[in-house]
Amino acid sequence: MIQAILVFNNHGKPRLVRFYQRFPEEIQQQIVRETFHLVLKRDDNICNFLEGGSLIGGSDYKLIYRHYATLYFVFCVDSSESELGILDLIQVFVETLDKCFENVCELDLIFHMDKVHYILQEVVMGGMVLETNMNEIVAQIEAQNRLEKSEGGLSAAPARAVSAVKNINLPEIPRNINIGRNPDHEPGAC
Amino acid sequence: MSDIVEKTLTALPGLFLQNQSVGGPAGVKASFSSRLGGLVRGITALTSKHEEEKLIQQELSSLKATVSAPTTTLKMMKECMVRLIYCEMLGYDASFGYIHAIKLAQQGNLLEKRVGYLAVSLFLHENHELLLLLVNTVVKDLQSTNLVEVCMALTIVSQIFPREMIPAVLPLIEDKLQHSKEIIRRKAVLALYKFYLIAPNQVQHIHIKFRKALCDRDVGVMAASLHIYFRMIKENSSGYKDLTGSFVTILKQVVGGKLPVDFNYHSVPAPWLQIQLLRILGLLGKDDQRTSELMYDVLDESLRRAELNHNVTYAILFECVHTVYSIYPKSELLEKAAKCIGKFVLSPKINLKYLGLKALTYVIQQDPTLALQHQMTIIECLDHPDPIIKRETLELLYRITNAQNVIVIVQKMLEYLHQSKEEYIIVNLVGKIAELAEKYAPDNAWFIQTMNAVFSVGGDVMHPDIPNNFMRLLAEGFDDETEDQQLRLYAVQSYLTLLDVENVFYPQKFLQVMSWVDASLSF
Repeated sequence: MIQAILVFNNHGKPRLVRFYQRFPEEIQQQIVRETFHLVLKRDDNICNFLEGGSLIGGSDYKLIYRHYATLYFVFCVDSSESELGILDLIQVFVETLDKCFENVCELDLIFHMDKVHYILQEVVMGGMVLETNMNEIVAQIEAQNRLEKSEGGLSAAPARAVSAVKNINLPEIPRNINIGRNPDHEPGAC
Repeated sequence: MSDIVEKTLTALPGLFLQNQSVGGPAGVKASFSSRLGGLVRGITALTSKHEEEKLIQQELSSLKATVSAPTTTLKMMKECMVRLIYCEMLGYDASFGYIHAIKLAQQGNLLEKRVGYLAVSLFLHENHELLLLLVNTVVKDLQSTNLVEVCMALTIVSQIFPREMIPAVLPLIEDKLQHSKEIIRRKAVLALYKFYLIAPNQVQHIHIKFRKALCDRDVGVMAASLHIYFRMIKENSSGYKDLTGSFVTILKQVVGGKLPVDFNYHSVPAPWLQIQLLRILGLLGKDDQRTSELMYDVLDESLRRAELNHNVTYAILFECVHTVYSIYPKSELLEKAAKCIGKFVLSPKINLKYLGLKALTYVIQQDPTLALQHQMTIIECLDHPDPIIKRETLELLYRITNAQNVIVIVQKMLEYLHQSKEEYIIVNLVGKIAELAEKYAPDNAWFIQTMNAVFSVGGDVMHPDIPNNFMRLLAEGFDDETEDQQLRLYAVQSYLTLLDVENVFYPQKFLQVMSWVDASLSF
């Protein structure tokens, strides 16, 4: 089971924090800081597995992390998860982010934090891995995005059409067309 | 007539541009959506924590005013909610917003509901009193005809849900197990798994439905049910032995490439599924020859097939090896597995080395010769620059310590102990060294010296049993009288010398031990 998923940058600023187990607020912040310090000490060519530190749970839990450019993606898992499997899961998650955001960078995670959460929700649900296929995840997210467009577009269109017609600057239509009685002319013809 | 149509057509572009222009009600919306951007930019521009606190408190008070104002629309509320999530992530309290998150989930349209649910799952916890207010919304959404709403409700149920209200939603979720859409069935299975974790007796009656999920025609649903089965089998493997056949069949199909191509990851068929199944089989076959016999074929097949050089293949191999060693032993499989472990340990890739060492640690109890085969590599690993590898090697060595190699091993452990600063590691290692010293000490002097080193490093953080046992040992002694005398004499002498040294700081517990020894044993 996955206990927590943390994403922070090279200075320790949290970009995404999701806990699947209950920790009080101050402890959560401490965990983020502690994890950052543990992970910062690691060079780039040593193994990606770490013991969890005293706060997040002791000997049964480990931290599996990957470093991409300016971001650290850290998954804290217990012994029921395979280490290499989780490493690849992190890769799948990052590739999905890349697909959804087109060449994702740290700024995307900052300014669209809610979207990143929605993507993560399709990968890991309640601490268990839900979906590992990138295309499936992207398909789910696009289904939600389509609803976003239709909510804004279709449902609001009638209201906007009405207000548009009201605002059209129509010329004064003469009320009284005095054409005189002529059986050859048909009223209404322009 | 055509004039009017023309007028309408020329007015239409103005319609579409209205949303993007800055001005009027649409302008307010635009400026709102860049508020989060403004906040983030503001924070990154600051240099000190104090200034950041000030800025965020300011932001929070303005947010507090906005969310409590009656004129705030749901759309604006959605925007505020994202900013609240951001502030909470940085560690600032935003509890005034919790109730509004729930309201947003209740009253909002689809997008607002999504943000509301997200905020609730991040802000609240299972025993929070506000959570009960969400239950009605969840019930309503579970019955909705809109699939996205149902998905959202299932997701929130699996993240957080109050235990007392499980009966309210249980029948609805059970219903979803038969839904025509695969994703809904899958999410329903995981939601039920969450219920199993927090209230197992409430889901007793639906184990039959779990079995149906296991045999579901969609692989995704079957994979989700494996989470539940793994947990249930871990707790009680004998209850599920009859399912061994099904698991073996599924694994055979996966390994044989019978799944749809979608499930291939870098041309490996459904690796995570394989790993999960291997673990389950490992649990089922433990100490049980008959059940293990059913698995030998498929394990052999998996070992053979995993030939590609990708990370994920190694993951499968590792799990295979682990399973082979957990179940009732079969010599050909053990041989193959041993070769695999050899490859891992000798691999230049660090992750694999680590896993190789871990596998050896596991295997060592059953097959000590394997460690001997790789002793050179193990010794090299002791001096590896990566502290994690070093620690794993020490773990391994701890298990193969005997009277001959105890001195060297304990010395290496003490070296590592001196270098490490983490409390967790110190506690762990100190316990191990003390245990080894007690069991295998070759002579008294060495024993006392080692224990002294342990006390001076471990000092205040170690488990109190360690000094207590030590003192008890000295007091009661072994069977040989002269040996005891010598031990005590040596202890007293060394402590007297140590206490004489000036300007040295000894941890509290060490001082206690020393004073006790000197006081009660010196005569």
